[in-house]
Amino acid sequence: MSIVPKETIEVIAQSIGITNLSPEAALMLAPDVEYRVREIMQEAIKCMRHSKRTTLTASDVDGALNLRNLEPIYGFGSGGPIRFRKAIGHRDLFYTDDREVDFKDVIEAPLPKAPLDTEIVCHWLAIEGVQPAIPENAPLEVIRAPAENQIYQQKDGPLIDIRLPVKHVLSKELQLYFQKIAELTMSKSNPSLFKEALVSLASDSGLHPLVPYFTNFIADEVSRGLNDFLLLFNLMHVVRSLLQNPHIHIEPYLHQLMPSVVTCLVSRKLGNRFADNHWDLRDFTANLVALICKRFGNTYVTLQSRLTKTLVNALLDPKKALTQHYGAIQGLAALGHNVVRLLVLSNLEPYLSLLEPELDAEKQKNQMKSYEAWRVYGALLRAAGLCIHDRLKIFPNLPSPSPSLLNKGKGKVINTEPNKRKLSVDSSENRSPRKRLIATDGSDGGPSPMQVDRPTGDANPPQNSVHPSSSEQASGGNAPESRNAKENQGSKGRTITRKAILDQIWKDDLDSGRLLVKLHQLYGDRILPFIPSTEMSLFL
Amino acid sequence: MDPEQVDEFVMGYLKKKGFNSAAKHLQESLHNNNGSSFSSIDYPNDPELTKLIRSFSQSENDPSRYREGYSKLRSWGYNSLDLYKHELLRVMYPVFIHCYMDLVGKGHTQEARSFFNSFRKDHEMVHLRDLQKLGGVLAPSHLQEMEFARSLRQSKINIKICQYSYDLLIQYLHRTESTLMLGIINEHINFQVYSGQPNSASDDIEAVTIVGSFHEIADHVNQKEIHWGLLEDSLEDRLEKTGGLLSDSEKGQGESKAGDDSKKRSAEIGKQGSSTKKLKKDKAGAATTKVARQETSTVLSSMPRVKPELAMPVMSTDVEESILEDLRNRVQLSSVAMPSVSFYTFVNTHNGLNSSSISHDGSLVAGGFSDSSIKVWDMARIGQAGSCALQDENNQTVGVNGRRNYTLLVGHSGPVYSATFSPPGDYVLSSSADTTIRLWSTKLNANLVCYKGHNHTVWDAQFSPFGHYFASCSHDRTARIWSMDRMQPLRMMAGHLSDVDCVQWHPNCNYIATGSSDKTVRLWDVQTGECVRIFIGHRSMVLSLAMSPDGRYMASGDEDGTIMMWDLSTARCITPLMGHNSCVWTLSYSGEGSLLASGSADCTVKLWDVSSSTKLTKAEEKNGNSNRLRSIRTFPTKSTPVHALRFSRRNLLFAAGAVSKHSS
Repeated sequence: MSIVPKETIEVIAQSIGITNLSPEAALMLAPDVEYRVREIMQEAIKCMRHSKRTTLTASDVDGALNLRNLEPIYGFGSGGPIRFRKAIGHRDLFYTDDREVDFKDVIEAPLPKAPLDTEIVCHWLAIEGVQPAIPENAPLEVIRAPAENQIYQQKDGPLIDIRLPVKHVLSKELQLYFQKIAELTMSKSNPSLFKEALVSLASDSGLHPLVPYFTNFIADEVSRGLNDFLLLFNLMHVVRSLLQNPHIHIEPYLHQLMPSVVTCLVSRKLGNRFADNHWDLRDFTANLVALICKRFGNTYVTLQSRLTKTLVNALLDPKKALTQHYGAIQGLAALGHNVVRLLVLSNLEPYLSLLEPELDAEKQKNQMKSYEAWRVYGALLRAAGLCIHDRLKIFPNLPSPSPSLLNKGKGKVINTEPNKRKLSVDSSENRSPRKRLIATDGSDGGPSPMQVDRPTGDANPPQNSVHPSSSEQASGGNAPESRNAKENQGSKGRTITRKAILDQIWKDDLDSGRLLVKLHQLYGDRILPFIPSTEMSLFL
Repeated sequence: MDPEQVDEFVMGYLKKKGFNSAAKHLQESLHNNNGSSFSSIDYPNDPELTKLIRSFSQSENDPSRYREGYSKLRSWGYNSLDLYKHELLRVMYPVFIHCYMDLVGKGHTQEARSFFNSFRKDHEMVHLRDLQKLGGVLAPSHLQEMEFARSLRQSKINIKICQYSYDLLIQYLHRTESTLMLGIINEHINFQVYSGQPNSASDDIEAVTIVGSFHEIADHVNQKEIHWGLLEDSLEDRLEKTGGLLSDSEKGQGESKAGDDSKKRSAEIGKQGSSTKKLKKDKAGAATTKVARQETSTVLSSMPRVKPELAMPVMSTDVEESILEDLRNRVQLSSVAMPSVSFYTFVNTHNGLNSSSISHDGSLVAGGFSDSSIKVWDMARIGQAGSCALQDENNQTVGVNGRRNYTLLVGHSGPVYSATFSPPGDYVLSSSADTTIRLWSTKLNANLVCYKGHNHTVWDAQFSPFGHYFASCSHDRTARIWSMDRMQPLRMMAGHLSDVDCVQWHPNCNYIATGSSDKTVRLWDVQTGECVRIFIGHRSMVLSLAMSPDGRYMASGDEDGTIMMWDLSTARCITPLMGHNSCVWTLSYSGEGSLLASGSADCTVKLWDVSSSTKLTKAEEKNGNSNRLRSIRTFPTKSTPVHALRFSRRNLLFAAGAVSKHSS
């Protein structure tokens, strides 16, 4: 009906003391109110035009009221246009900001300056049809599209300002923010605060102008601080937070960011001290790389291929350090099973043969080296295992174990790692305490020294028949150094059945079967925990 | 159709129309005759009749019928043949607004509003402002009150339509039995059917814009004869005849004699024809000097000459001399020879500057302010002060800070909407919201006369080209002619349907033109007070007017930024000049009429080449060569809307405006 709702009429009636306005009367009044308002506005626009303005002011409305012989509305004649504020919670409700002023303040305030008096300034807008380049005239390039040579010509004119390439103005707040974050990243002294900062980086909007500064900062610090493990870890956390922030459009800066990230993955040496757990950093960075590929792989088609190329090159180069190999394997593994199957498994056999001597405690006297080799071996096993797990999982008629279990297992990896390191470094003497430790965990599953020990334990409770064997196997395979001998002893009796199982699978799925056989050949029983329990139980 | 049904319909109709007794009788007779009351008429075999009866029986007040009928007609129109479509669509707008007003008139406010909103998009492009006005009409009383709506209701709209389109329309209306639409069309549209092919869609400006009552009147009015020629013996003529030899002693004597004459007759100056004798004498005197400029005179002398209908004031000799001197030094402008533009920028106006104007020689600038004051700057003195300051520093500080460097004229009691100079620059005429016009002397810096007569805000007041007379226009929808020595107006021009917003004199002083909020420009005969031309074509309020120096053309600028060039004799628009995108505040012709300058709220001064229009031959005119008028130069200001423009007699262009800081 009318754009003035009848509620408004009722409110107005109440405000002027009419309490008994009937709804019908309000309904009748509403259209008339609208008409009168429109009439006043029509006259006000006339007044505005005659005042040679294009903005309607309160004085125009007063003028219109005057034309209609009505009393003007007092209190709005401020000269300039009125500033309206939006009422919070309403889409189209506005009010004028009308502050309460303390009378005392007004009296005590110094007298305001008298407004400047009107004056006339004279200048030449044009001389014989040509606009002179004086400050009073509008700069020419605003009007005309600046052709190349035109700008050149105008350089002679002293007063024309030529626009430089867009200058990035960073607000004071952002500058401070950047400084603070950079400080926190560098200082490493306040981890809790740094965590807060990461949360802020990952969630705050409006950080976009800082992205180029951050990428620059990260690139600089990574290249400078390769010896500083904590710094690198912090930097990678910053990268991850930036990637997580939904308000940041990081794509244009990826090409600057990627080298630093890949460096943290496959660099020969990360960190200075022996205690620096650079494995963690590599694992973390591998996930980061996978995240980037997942998010931007669609827009940058070459991103993943270039990355895998780098990683495979690092992996297949025997001259590269084992740490580099580890990083490359983790990076590839994080990229998904297909990548692993295509790039890692195909090269698995020659690589393992290369790795073999390093693994052997007798041949490799350097414990450090040996440990590194075992880490690499573990990473490879995990990658291959996950891959085969995934392959087998796709059997249509078999219920698969929930992936969360697997994740849970992975989660444990980190917890057990210090143990493992100790274990491997201290060689086999420590075996019994470790065994006890795991036993006290309440798990009767086989504590394989490699990453995925939990799935076997947790996923297999109903699978009682396997338990002995798996624990047996675990106890056998626990000491990597003596793998061949012990394992063979421990699981001799089962080998034949397993072969049968493998053959079965091979019949079912030639491809994955072959793969499995191959893996089994290479890894022996260690691969078995990766095979989903349900499938396993079926075959048993 | 069953007889019972027919009876029912008839009963329903009678009851609805209030013929209760007739209905009763009918019912009785029905009972008596057992349902065969209409046997005498062969109604089952007469389809027309049954239709008619059926249509009557439908509830006549059903508001949805309007929407239904209109939307049917609309979809039919849009699906019609391309060749005739634009003609048929022209019918839509009047049908639309009348449907709306019918609905409002019958009190179906709700339905009217929804009807209006669902179809207004169709017409917004052309009729936006009208729709905005009509959108506020919500009650039957508003229809009565609102001038625009009333004029629409009372008048018929003329639509030119070709025979075939007309037949199509009538056929459609009959076939679909849309009696309602037919009724509206019959009631409010006057078809002017012509044979042959339909007009092309582009030249239907008139058909599109005219919605008021006055198409017929306008046609009638525009038949009247007008004499747009320049005055006999104008200064230009004299210049041509005398050539460069102004120092001719004989002429000087004649001039002084004329001055004596004028003194004698100053008492009876208001009377008509007093100075003709003198002018003749002058002419005779001037004719004796034989030197003539052949080239220019051929152009100008070909123009017809008219006699002034008003008694012309007599110019003093030195004023005339200076004018002649200026004319002799005038720069010839054309599309290749551009003028120089001097810009006067008002600073620190605090949004208060309503109007500004520049004297003919550019030495004086006046501003009318919303605080009722008028300020006059003497630009020559400001320039001097600047040069003095170079010599004496003390002097400068006094000049800038100690004293105002303008003359403050206080007297009005409302915002001053115009302040203009008399041609010699010795008077300022101001008009204000206090309904008065005041005359100020720039020599005495004092108010001389206060003219009261208008009933409402006076929007504009302009001196005649020869001074002494002036015209004013007002919110009270009249324009008035005054002479400086009378308290009462000499003539009153009434006829505009809305505010008269601007006024301009014809160069021969026999006519004034007025622009109005009713989107028309009218030309009035000063002597008789009659309207002699109505110019229809603007789509919004007319804000500025200018007359070409040869008196044949007129330019008008409107709120949307359109400038229209009119031929006074035919009342036709030569061409719309498009280019500004905001209000055109001011227009000015160059001295010889080859260039038109326009100043707009979009912070630009544009120059238009209009010389071709004056040289347009008859043949070209018939070819409709409308692309001859073009914008040749645009001068943007920094952020100053251009309020006033004035070509000096030497063809220097002065412009003025107030800096607006908030323009984005």
